[in-house]
Amino acid sequence: MKFISDKNLRKWLESLMGIGSLIAPMDLGPGLTLFSQIRDPGDVNLEYETTPIPPKDLFFPSSEALFRFSPSRGYEIPEIDGEAFLLGIRPCDALGIRLMDFPFLSEPADPRYERRRRRTTLIGLGCIKARPECFCTSFGIGPFDASNADAFLIPVKGGFLAEARTEKGAKALAAAELEEASIPIPKPPEVPSIDVGAVREVALSLFNSPYWERLADRCLSCKLCAYVCPSCYCFDIRDYPIRDGAERIRSWDSCQSPLFSRQASGYDPRQTKASRLRNRFYHKFSYFPGEFGAFGCTGCGRCVRYCPVNIDVREVLLAILRGEAKVA
Amino acid sequence: MEEIRAKAIELLRSGEVKCFIGYERASDGLTARPFFAYSADDAGRLIFDRTCAHNLARYLPDMRGQRVAILVKPCDSRSVNVLIQEGQVNREEVYVVGVVCDGVYKASWGQPSQELEARCLYCSRRVPVVYDHLIGQPPASEPQTPASIPEVEALERRSAKERWEFWRSHFARCIRCNACRQICPACYCPQCFSDQLDPLWTGIRIGLPQNWVWNVGRALHLAGRCADCGGCERACPMGIPLAALNRKLAGRVKELFGFEAGLDPRAPFPFATFKKEEVL
Ligand code: SF4
Ligand code: SF4
Ligand code: SF4
Ligand code: SF4
Ligand code: SF4
Repeated sequence: MKFISDKNLRKWLESLMGIGSLIAPMDLGPGLTLFSQIRDPGDVNLEYETTPIPPKDLFFPSSEALFRFSPSRGYEIPEIDGEAFLLGIRPCDALGIRLMDFPFLSEPADPRYERRRRRTTLIGLGCIKARPECFCTSFGIGPFDASNADAFLIPVKGGFLAEARTEKGAKALAAAELEEASIPIPKPPEVPSIDVGAVREVALSLFNSPYWERLADRCLSCKLCAYVCPSCYCFDIRDYPIRDGAERIRSWDSCQSPLFSRQASGYDPRQTKASRLRNRFYHKFSYFPGEFGAFGCTGCGRCVRYCPVNIDVREVLLAILRGEAKVA
Repeated sequence: MEEIRAKAIELLRSGEVKCFIGYERASDGLTARPFFAYSADDAGRLIFDRTCAHNLARYLPDMRGQRVAILVKPCDSRSVNVLIQEGQVNREEVYVVGVVCDGVYKASWGQPSQELEARCLYCSRRVPVVYDHLIGQPPASEPQTPASIPEVEALERRSAKERWEFWRSHFARCIRCNACRQICPACYCPQCFSDQLDPLWTGIRIGLPQNWVWNVGRALHLAGRCADCGGCERACPMGIPLAALNRKLAGRVKELFGFEAGLDPRAPFPFATFKKEEVL
């Protein structure tokens, strides 16, 4: 491991900004930190607690025009900028990006996602504190897990321990003034874990359990839990008229929305809050693993923290595993 | 708390109601969340303290056709009246348990706090405006309503350009998750204008112009109907100060029509009545 001192950090960030755009956590108001395009390295906050929106929107923006067409200008595909550095992403969010890769990079790959993914270097950041909602260790990662990042930083006194994991990461670190690390790797914080191994099999037997209706009593059927989730990837596509033509827009969507599964005939197979809420958990813990061989959750706890009525995925997992959700 | 549990057990045991909508401790061990008690056993989980911020009236339209009991603070009780007034809730179906309230704390998930929510600082009621059973000791007199709301005044003092900038920077962040709408007891339309695609109102694009239509449209639809429960602002993951808009509009409706949401379930609505002498 190498060491980047606090003093050299600013210089490093400046040189990264010379190569491409730098996206990092930045404070925008009291209690609100978001991954933002950095103009001044002094704005980067590497001690942030949490961002409501995970950095997935760098690859899969909340809304974008896929293309435009007009009689005068013909067919246009909006450009995707050059190189980018995504700095300061937590292990859970880096896992989130790997999970997004499954649907977006499977054949045929989504060209816009793929371009953005290829141009971006992920510079991870170890967590020296766990938040009360963290349970990432349930999914094979942990506070210092570097496996889904190109380079990884661990905060220590006076700076960061730094390690390159891929060629891209080595290139990014080459722009820094590195010292030999004389500080040992600190002990990561304890993060509680849920043994999710059996959840898929158990869940399948609980599909018709009244548990989902009781849980859904409280649910608001908003889309918040999907929008804050680093591994939710649903979207809607529509064409809209623009001056002298039209554009095709893709925007985030969520299975919690009552409009999500309405079919052209007008029929909706998921008419109740309970059937929508159940879908959220089944997709993450049953269908997604069936399709891609990994759980569709990173244990980041965002849905736990931001759900306005505290539908807690950890409680749901435990209820499933303990068979509390049994069919009556 | 014991009184609430006892009342819930009595109502559930006697079969008077099928469900008691109250609060239980949230999974952080600090804050509260809505809770639906269906049996006397469930009722043991009910709590009430100054972390019970949610406006449970939001759940009443979901429960139509069944007799339920609901726990309300003074602000929440106004929403119950709005729902009755707007024909969304049948008064006969709801047993309202009111609680005398001294304000709730500004707690967010996992963070204890003893600071009152802004709305509670100038709330002029301690006793719910509608109830079948009251819990707690009503004060000798209700507190005075302050003449103005500091946060609204501070915004009013800014120039139009500054206000534009203020809201622009906030609305630009909106992700249109609709949590503010879904948590609101006054937002019950089967199809929201913002989901309307034919004809198109806002569309699916998440961007400043569309967000602007959404956020302003939402606020306007709640003028004279918002009970200032603060639910929308509390739910917003992006920290958008929605309550300031609601409060400004509630103030205008009061000035223009002398009307406050939910005080009298029989009063005619300013936006559903028309008098010839009214001019803009
Ligand atoms: S679980 Fe929570 S965040 Fe998700 S739809 Fe329900 S209320 Fe909204
Ligand atoms: S389901 Fe919840 S805990 Fe899991 S990745 Fe999504 S937001 Fe994080
Ligand atoms: S949980 Fe729902 S919104 Fe999230 S990816 Fe699955 S289907 Fe889509
Ligand atoms: S809750 Fe906030 S982010 Fe979500 S739609 Fe409402 S204003 Fe926008
Ligand atoms: S607009 Fe907001 S404050 Fe007003 S009633 Fe609805 S949720 Fe409550």
